[in-house]
Amino acid sequence: MSDKFRADFYQNFIEDDRWKYMVNGLGNTIKITFFAVLLGIVLGFLVALIRSTYEKTRKLWFLDMLCRVYLTVIRGTPVLIQLMIIYFVVFGSMRIDKVLVSVLAFGINSGAYVAEIFRSGIMSIDNGQFEAGRSLGFNYRQTMFYIVTPQAFKNVLPALGNEFIVLLKETSVAGYIAIQELTKGADIIRSRTYNAYMPLLAAGAIYLVMVMIFTHFVQKLERRLRNSDH
Amino acid sequence: MTTDYRTDALIQVKHLGKRFGDLEVLKDINVDIRKGDVVCVIGPSGSGKSTFLRCLNRLEEPTGGNILFEGVDITAPKTDIDKHRQKMGMVFQQFNLFPHMTIMKNLIIAPMKLQGRPQKEAEEEAMRLLERVGLADRAGAYPSQLSGGQKQRIAIVRALCMKPDVMLFDEPTSALDPEMVGEVLNVMRDLARERMTMVVVTHEMGFAREVANRVMFMDDGYFLEENAPEEFFAHPRNERLKNFLSKVL
Ligand SMILES: Nc1ncnc2c1ncn2[C@@H]1O[C@H](COP(=O)(O)OP(=O)(O)OP(=O)(O)O)[C@@H](O)[C@H]1O
Ligand SMILES: [Mg+2]
Repeated sequence: MSDKFRADFYQNFIEDDRWKYMVNGLGNTIKITFFAVLLGIVLGFLVALIRSTYEKTRKLWFLDMLCRVYLTVIRGTPVLIQLMIIYFVVFGSMRIDKVLVSVLAFGINSGAYVAEIFRSGIMSIDNGQFEAGRSLGFNYRQTMFYIVTPQAFKNVLPALGNEFIVLLKETSVAGYIAIQELTKGADIIRSRTYNAYMPLLAAGAIYLVMVMIFTHFVQKLERRLRNSDH
Repeated sequence: MTTDYRTDALIQVKHLGKRFGDLEVLKDINVDIRKGDVVCVIGPSGSGKSTFLRCLNRLEEPTGGNILFEGVDITAPKTDIDKHRQKMGMVFQQFNLFPHMTIMKNLIIAPMKLQGRPQKEAEEEAMRLLERVGLADRAGAYPSQLSGGQKQRIAIVRALCMKPDVMLFDEPTSALDPEMVGEVLNVMRDLARERMTMVVVTHEMGFAREVANRVMFMDDGYFLEENAPEEFFAHPRNERLKNFLSKVL
């Protein structure tokens, strides 16, 4: 058993430097996830602000309508379809970095979910907070910035962490546009060595470890924020 | 009822009206609030007291009439209401302290961000006011670590830190346990003694009788009666007021 394991390990990861598929794949997975998360937060935050501003003040109705279309389309279709449409249709005739395409696709996708998370967070803050800010003389934007969104962010942190875990794992479909991310890297090894369990288990374990590390940090941040007011 | 112009009128309310859809809450409100006035507004639940108070700083948008604050029509469409609100402190029934900030931060954020005061100066001012309400030792605490009475005293200080010209109170003691009402009323009494202009919506008849110089009775969208407290409570004229007082006194 251990001899077989050692032989398999050698064949799958050492021979022909196949470990590089995994490491490069992991690098791409992290790169895509990281920038898509950033894009998703920025997009989601903007959309949430527009939507909750509309809900509170009935202003920005046109932007609100655009946002609703965005949310409906993105949340109503599979991310893989969105990725392939962006790659093959939107950028079809252009030579463009595939990692960048993935960041765009996953970021735009994640933004829709983040937007709804932020929006529910903003709407869950008692209106008295908002009125207290306005009564001191803060304008709408300042009240949102100093008073409402910091509290909203704290409330939605667990949901946000969850969304990023989903995103990290969803990037595994980026292989469909021939990006070598972690899953694809493992699959390439499998196709070379005809050995499925070793590279796939390894890839799965790496995802798992990343999720666990990430969860740990989110929980730590949550605790710190919670300590700061209760 | 007509309002004659008085030079010392800090707030002039003229034919103020407010409706929520079909519900006409304020019908024709006319009142002058002079510098140093302590006006208590009483009336049955749902009569529009809070709506009136919240119209004064336009937390509710009036649907009719005008409000002049320090000579400026703050109901005019182009007024920068944020600017005027800095001069109108408001204290809410539910305190509405900012739970994610320490007490000190609650107190200095508006003076620093809106009036550009340096942190040190804002903190010194806040500390001075905290000492006056007996809460200097809680500056580093968070609102959730305070009792209701302490929260409301902090909320009053937060408004005072902006150095307002008038303070608006909407039932500041109604959410408090009975044993904490006194400490908040004491702070308000001190303010009145220092000639702070105050408009107080309250159910505390004792406070109105003792501290106010004018008591007003609101019902049915109007101020139905106004008088100095002694007269107001001893010889009410309006039937509804008589009825109301017989229930609450
Ligand atoms: N935002 C709103 N939308 C619709 N109706 C409202 C709104 N705010 C208040 N009202 C209605 O206006 C009326 C007056 O309310 P208001 O809160 O001013 O009364 P109040 O005198 O302060 O009563 P209380 O003593 O119970 O605080 C009530 O019938 C209330 O239901
Ligand atoms: Mg009320």
